[in-house]
Amino acid sequence: MDPVGQEDVLDLSRDKSPNQGAYVYQPANPGKTASERPAKRRKVSSAHDQGQAAVSQIFVPLLNGEENLISTQLRHDCYKQIWSRQEDRIQAILEDVDAGVLADVLSFVRDNTPETCNGCIPTGLVTVGSNVSSLSRLLSRLNDQLLSNDEGGVVVLESGDAPNLKTTLKNVIRAVITNTEGNDGYHEFLTDRSGPRLLSYDLDLLHEYVQRKGTKKLVLAFRDSEAFDPVLLMDLLSLLKSWLDRIPFTVLLGISTSVELFEGRLPRACISLLQGKHFEVQDAGNCVDRIYESLQAGPEGKMWLGRNVTSTLLEKTHDYFQTPEAFSRMVKHAYMSHFFANPLSVLLANPSPATLSHPVLCEAIRNTPSFRMFCEDLIESGSPENARNLIESDETLLQEAISHVEIGQQSMRRLFGAIGLIFSCLQHTQSVKKTNISDLSVRGLSGDLSESQVLDDMLATMRTFDSEKMGRLLDTLPEAELTHLLIEDIRADFASLVGAHARSLPLRSEYNINSSVMKTTVVQQRILLSKGKSNLAKRDLEYTRIVDRLVGAFQEYFAETLIQPQELFMHEAFLFDFRNPLKETFTPRPRFAIERALANPFDYLVSSADTSAARISVKQPPTAILYQLYLESGALVNIHDLWQTFYSVFESEQGDACDERLVMALFYGALSDLRSFGMVKNSRKKTDHLSKSVWIGL
Amino acid sequence: MKRKLSNSDLEADHPEISTPKRPRTALSHSNGALNGHAPNLSPLLEEDVGELSHQAPNGQSTPKKSSKATATPLKDSGLKTPTHKSKARSLFATPTKSTIAKTGTPSRMRKADQSAKKKSARVLFEQDEDSAWDGSEQLAEEILQEDEVAETENEIDIGAEIVTESVEGDKIEEGKATDTKAPKRRAGRPKGARNKRSPTPEGELPPHERYFFQNRAGTGKTSNTTLNKVSLLTHEEYFEKMAQYTDPCQQEKEYLLSIHRRSFPQWLFEFEEGFNICLFGYGSKRRLVHDFADWLYQKRSVAGKIPPIIIVNGYTPGISIRSIFATIATAILGEELPSKLGAQPTEVLELLQSALKARPADEEPITVLINSVDAPPLRRAVNQTLLARLAATPRVRLLLSADTPNFATMWDISLRDQFNLVFHDSTTFTPFTAETNVVEEVHALLGRKGQRVGGKEGVGFVLKSLPENARNLYRLLLTEVLTVMEDGHQSDDEAATGVDGGVRPGEDNGVEFRLLYQKATEEFIASSEMMFRTLLKEFHDHQMITSRMDPSGMEILGVPLSREEMEGVLEDLVLA
Repeated sequence: MDPVGQEDVLDLSRDKSPNQGAYVYQPANPGKTASERPAKRRKVSSAHDQGQAAVSQIFVPLLNGEENLISTQLRHDCYKQIWSRQEDRIQAILEDVDAGVLADVLSFVRDNTPETCNGCIPTGLVTVGSNVSSLSRLLSRLNDQLLSNDEGGVVVLESGDAPNLKTTLKNVIRAVITNTEGNDGYHEFLTDRSGPRLLSYDLDLLHEYVQRKGTKKLVLAFRDSEAFDPVLLMDLLSLLKSWLDRIPFTVLLGISTSVELFEGRLPRACISLLQGKHFEVQDAGNCVDRIYESLQAGPEGKMWLGRNVTSTLLEKTHDYFQTPEAFSRMVKHAYMSHFFANPLSVLLANPSPATLSHPVLCEAIRNTPSFRMFCEDLIESGSPENARNLIESDETLLQEAISHVEIGQQSMRRLFGAIGLIFSCLQHTQSVKKTNISDLSVRGLSGDLSESQVLDDMLATMRTFDSEKMGRLLDTLPEAELTHLLIEDIRADFASLVGAHARSLPLRSEYNINSSVMKTTVVQQRILLSKGKSNLAKRDLEYTRIVDRLVGAFQEYFAETLIQPQELFMHEAFLFDFRNPLKETFTPRPRFAIERALANPFDYLVSSADTSAARISVKQPPTAILYQLYLESGALVNIHDLWQTFYSVFESEQGDACDERLVMALFYGALSDLRSFGMVKNSRKKTDHLSKSVWIGL
Repeated sequence: MKRKLSNSDLEADHPEISTPKRPRTALSHSNGALNGHAPNLSPLLEEDVGELSHQAPNGQSTPKKSSKATATPLKDSGLKTPTHKSKARSLFATPTKSTIAKTGTPSRMRKADQSAKKKSARVLFEQDEDSAWDGSEQLAEEILQEDEVAETENEIDIGAEIVTESVEGDKIEEGKATDTKAPKRRAGRPKGARNKRSPTPEGELPPHERYFFQNRAGTGKTSNTTLNKVSLLTHEEYFEKMAQYTDPCQQEKEYLLSIHRRSFPQWLFEFEEGFNICLFGYGSKRRLVHDFADWLYQKRSVAGKIPPIIIVNGYTPGISIRSIFATIATAILGEELPSKLGAQPTEVLELLQSALKARPADEEPITVLINSVDAPPLRRAVNQTLLARLAATPRVRLLLSADTPNFATMWDISLRDQFNLVFHDSTTFTPFTAETNVVEEVHALLGRKGQRVGGKEGVGFVLKSLPENARNLYRLLLTEVLTVMEDGHQSDDEAATGVDGGVRPGEDNGVEFRLLYQKATEEFIASSEMMFRTLLKEFHDHQMITSRMDPSGMEILGVPLSREEMEGVLEDLVLA
């Protein structure tokens, strides 16, 4: 294998600085870099003819490195293009979500002075709940607003910045000055001043700065208020209070729990210094739903996240606290994975078949399950020539593939359009439990929405609507979908019917509960209940016909649009649905990984030798051997016995050739590994015993 | 599994000679019953199976009664009691039928080992709370040595799958077992080994059951052997031995590394898109990280841009977050670095951030690779908060590697948000050679105070990096201490304490502070007391010297080394 790798058993030969704390990387001398050759040559050799262009590329040619360089570049550009559009959308949503609170906070900051607050420090309490990132977003935008109007600025203080009062003050002062003057400005400010030199935590400095700049508002934001030491907070606030006549402080407290809990932690004297208002930031979950909707259901969507990915994403948001940013990052990574690792994604870039024509890509397309399905369908539908053509001619295949990508995208868009329609209808039909759009999307993506209970219930409820409710429902339907729905004439009829009977509204259909009568008859001492339709007025019968037509149109529409995305030909190109790299990348299981590595080392070390014979063998890394012995032990382990067992593993396989001291050295290494993983600790119960602190799988 | 089978086969072979027919039928009978039930065994069914096999031999063999009647009352009761007990505990063990099965085969009864019977009776008598699990097991174990049925029955406790396996195995073995094969198998299990309480539950228990099994009361019975007889390794010997070791998995590890290397372009792409990366998994990732630096450097420098790359070794003792920031600042600013950076890490960080902002946008971003971000020096929450801020800085790319299983607990949600990490499993299996001081770790774990941290090697290493006169002072100190020790050996009581204390005579025998100072000035090592103390402080910092007050209030300086080690160090000093 790697000759250099063989040589440095102890892993020290190339890395000269294992004991240096932090250093600037210098490339090893040229002779040594030979070890990098194989990796590099692999990359360049594939792109050999294209020369320098390959070097600056970030994407690697796929399909065993035989991918066309142009396609590689296309994939990258396409990713950039698609994602930047999506990112703009996300940003817009985030801004929109924050807008309300921002306006409130801003006006609060502007309007309140110590005078309006009875001499107390004006204080805004911002509860953020799980949406922790929203506060920093809010504060930075507040800062921008204040800065642009030359009113002052915002200083964000974290609990880490406030170990004691002096440092806190110093940090505050520096942050205020650097906010406008920059780092150099701060140093100048400190040094270039007349009069006696002040210490860096003297609020006189700040006073002077405020006077010089004419600052009207100085907002001091505590990002994680709960984490601050209450005593320190008390000192700091009382100090701020005493400077309030000279420096226009406003305090913003970010609270993750609740105002009551936070208040409970502070002494009364401290609370009496503050007076202000409570603001609430919208919950993260809501925000995530909106982001998801805009990503998937956007009118010019080009690629979609499949059911597995969606459910993973949503699961994470529901089960853990997660900020909307973190959510969109996960989505971003999904997009990245798609374009980075899927050669078919090049088809999303609307390439001309000529640039693509590459036998390997065509081969890849022919290997997809959807191609196989498509061909089978072609043969079944009696056009085997077409199927043969696809298999034999690259050109036909590419043309067909590109056109089908477009068709598929169209049907995906319509699928989400239908989901949006269902969602807006559900707003009217569901009274208690509201299904949110992401749940609907998961079902829609898995293709089981068309025969679902939700849909049946919805249509059944729609039938019972009277004309008023129906009118409202029709008015709120998304415009984009109405064109597909083909109910224009129905709507017109409805409108004219309602117009004609404006006096006797609302009109009821025959499905309405008010239109059916319960008959009770007593026959031979038994009560018979029977439902019958009450006599409907003519207008109601007309209305019923309209309702029937409407529901029919809906049904037809849904039957057409609610497709199974996995059945579309070329869905591999525009549907990303791999749960695993995404899940492992964002919710790693490091402990599981380590335990697995140690308990079953050959899961990782792919060995040519037959390893299945013995569970514990010398061929395994020593730590793995010791760990497996450790697994079998009780809560308390005698080190001597452990050592003997460890030794016997080696002794039994190597016999006389076994060097006891060498084995002991290995034992040492293994034991120190277990210790640094926190799996064992010294037990006080008995001499030379270890106590076990980790159980596998728990 | 195999070990067990062998023994039971042995047992099965013996009766074959004396009574060829009976045990066979009994066996196959119960085996059949077992086979029928095995696939869907539930705790309840177990009881049924027990009953079944209970009845089968009963019906077949009436003579059992008489043999039982002849037994002493004590034994009788001894055999009966478990029936009730075990029924109550049927969830865990079902020794019921094993005893019955034992009585059920009269031919074997005769041959049954009397001592085993006594023992089982005794165990049952003494049964108390904490042996509840083991007692029954033990009994079953003993009977198991006599009866195969008991063996297989006992297995049921552990897991249905294994039962079917073993039962089938038994059948095959039964047919095949020959005398020639038997002795070979005997070696597999030492006789009576199973009589010990095993902390290892058999078969696959779910993790929580395993936890309770291993933590149940009264299992803390470990042997009393200690490591006193074993001579522990020194640093020297450890490294010497490790140098001799050839890794059997070298090729596999290399292959694993090459797989990880393949994802370098992916990492770069993630960097480009603003993510930071965290590598986790077993094994040192230092080499991988270094390879990545090499790769990145090559890739970018071909394009004509030299990326600044900073490598941080988080495990280095005494590394401070400020020094990391300072290194990064140096890398960015180069010549323009202000002479005074500020003592607070936040100040350096802010300098760094403003410097980054001032850089033209088309310059290469800063790449910071941190090895072992979860190592003790960086583990503290304050440090992680600052690192998170560094990570959140635009145009800074951070690659972390984490070694411990629970590193993720260092970061709360807002830190995680700032870090913006993607995680990659990079198990390398490379030993932590630089990250941990193995011998020191192990000795700390063993609670061995005798082995001085650092030892002779450590002291020698420190001395090499100290200036000339510090070395001279240490030489002086060692000479004085050794002289005192030699003097001490002549007086009886001193010698006695020396032997008792044993391990560290250098600490008990010390030199008086004034005396040493005087000598030092005489040899022109230190000209003032200030200077003298400065030199001593250096030794203190490296724990190369101890100091204590003697009853008269004089300060006594000593060396925390054994006599041999002191002589060794002195030799090196004089020769150097």
